[in-house]
Amino acid sequence: MRINSNVVKVAAAALSFACSGFAHAELNVFACEPEYAALAKELAPNASIYSATTALQDPHQVQARPSLIAKMRQADLVVCAGADLEIGWLPMLQMKSANAKVHSTEQGLFFAAEQIDTLDKLASVDRSMGDVHAKGNPHIHFDPNRVLTVAKALTAKMSQLEPSEAANYQKSLADFSSRWQAAIPRWEEQAKPLKGKKVIAYHTSFRYLFNWLGIEQVADLEPKPGLAPTSGHLASLLSRAEQGDIFAVVVASYQDERGAKWLGEKANLPVVMLPMSVGGNDNSQDLFSLYDSAISLLNGVK
Amino acid sequence: MTVFNNRISLVALACAFASPTLFAADSSITNPTISAVLNGYYQTAERPLAETAEGFGLGETELAMSANIDDMFYGKLTAVVEMHDGETELNLEEAFIQTMAMPAGFSIRGGRFLSDIGYLNNQHLHTDSFTDRPIAYRAFFGGHYFDDGVRLNFVAPTDLYWTIGAEAFKGDSMRAADEHGEREFKNVGVYTLYSKIGGDIGDNSSWQAGLSYLRNENGQVTAHEEGDEHAHEVVEEGHDHSHAASYTGKNTYGADFVYKWAPNGNYKYQNLTLTGEYYRVTDFVPADLHPEDAPSKDYHQGWYLSSVYQFTPSWSAGLRYGEVDTQELHGEHFHGQKLKESEVSLAWHSSHFSSVRFQYTNQKGTNFDGIEDDNVFTIQYIMSLGAHGAHQF
Repeated sequence: MRINSNVVKVAAAALSFACSGFAHAELNVFACEPEYAALAKELAPNASIYSATTALQDPHQVQARPSLIAKMRQADLVVCAGADLEIGWLPMLQMKSANAKVHSTEQGLFFAAEQIDTLDKLASVDRSMGDVHAKGNPHIHFDPNRVLTVAKALTAKMSQLEPSEAANYQKSLADFSSRWQAAIPRWEEQAKPLKGKKVIAYHTSFRYLFNWLGIEQVADLEPKPGLAPTSGHLASLLSRAEQGDIFAVVVASYQDERGAKWLGEKANLPVVMLPMSVGGNDNSQDLFSLYDSAISLLNGVK
Repeated sequence: MTVFNNRISLVALACAFASPTLFAADSSITNPTISAVLNGYYQTAERPLAETAEGFGLGETELAMSANIDDMFYGKLTAVVEMHDGETELNLEEAFIQTMAMPAGFSIRGGRFLSDIGYLNNQHLHTDSFTDRPIAYRAFFGGHYFDDGVRLNFVAPTDLYWTIGAEAFKGDSMRAADEHGEREFKNVGVYTLYSKIGGDIGDNSSWQAGLSYLRNENGQVTAHEEGDEHAHEVVEEGHDHSHAASYTGKNTYGADFVYKWAPNGNYKYQNLTLTGEYYRVTDFVPADLHPEDAPSKDYHQGWYLSSVYQFTPSWSAGLRYGEVDTQELHGEHFHGQKLKESEVSLAWHSSHFSSVRFQYTNQKGTNFDGIEDDNVFTIQYIMSLGAHGAHQF
């Protein structure tokens, strides 16, 4: 997904690189996931922003492909979830892109998870537990309060990189914060009926959403994080579902629906596919509509 | 290349690398990334110029450690333990530093490292989808070409990925055969130039294409004295494990491409990789050879095409076809020879970190190590422990 990357912008960026001083060089942002591209867009509307992945791609399994190296080569700022979500591809991109500006969090590298307390931090990690993250769950963008903290830190980072624009970044942050803080009680009101509901979900993709709205994930379609559902595991989920207290089976937009559908049919449960990020469905065009869409999809169950 | 040839304890080696407190998930100055790759197989027949022997065996057992040294340098050490003929050998495959803070897209790598020519060469063997490198790599690069030297690389600030680089190496493993030890070799034997471009096609596809040139100052065969049966003892003696190139020449020209496809660019459930490379090695004929003894072709060439389809997170299947067409010096005459390999592989991946592979290879040879029409079956496992570094596109 490319945000704000129409031909004119790209040409302008290329031109301003070629003849430095020709025009005011706008901040070139490389976002690892679309939610951070969307957040960067809120805070720096004039920046040139590129998202390395879409909401239809598993961010754990991205290829360090040539186009991403080329984009990172030109970046002033790299914004990622962190907590090792991108451990399989970000270090390779950093090495291959030979862009000294984005190697260190002291300069143009920003990890959202480092700005907040993550859920589910583990004291010890073993691969027999699956592909788990010792630094906690990195899918933090469905917690509105954590997003606000990240937005503040990202604004500080952008101001650090472009001190002359600091006032504008603060203005954008104030604007975003007021709209975001106004939306939070509205979402919480809308989601009230969901409180206490029990779901079976795929991976811990929506850990923060469920935590925020008081939804309880009682089982995982993955036998272990990162492993595909097995028939034996699905059978155990079916017997769990037969207790009759499950509200829905939830999968993310990049996850395979087959296991969820099988369980949904056998246990007569609704299956909901939630957008994992901005662009995960037609309604999710920015962070606000992403939240709107996820809550309305959950509210629409039966 | 062989650093130690003593029997060594893997445990001792691991301990030498790091104290247990260093085995952390994070990689930083105080926490290097440490990994090991275990690799074992059973193979029903020998394959020419391959690293794997017939029967039960261990492939390259790899121990790697890497970290940012400071804000300017990154370093990596990859030790490879190999067992053959009852001997345990420890080789260093990588021991390099790389700059991290050079401006304008430049970087320098120095030490021992894998050359960046071609597509497969800079990748570790355990990431391959087949049990051995294509025959062209085995014939011209000793499987994979790593050496002591230096590289300068540049990445252009363009949306279309474009990189260009040059390397200089010692080149010991690329020297033409010198049975009598009478030849004067140059100290810096190998120079390379390479360039790669790449990009995306929509959300589903990505590609990369490259051209490379390898200048081998010591690659041209010298005339042999009488009584020389074979110019390339390495080949004739079969299994050697020397990692040396079997067919050398002054100039090697290469072209490579890779195309990857995944629905919506989501590699988790399904993806397809198509790869092809071609190499031509020229100027191998001794300068003072009688014209009537000249070979029928004045070049060696080799190529392969492979396709790997991962159809579920747990299963992938591969098809590969490769050929080499080389000239072998027997006494004062060159004999043409050819090998064609057709291969099918099927791999089961319990997770990202473990694979069990079944492979069938049909080898058809013409004057090649006595191979006419051989069938080879292999079963292999490759498993990685610890925080393994990212793999390249």
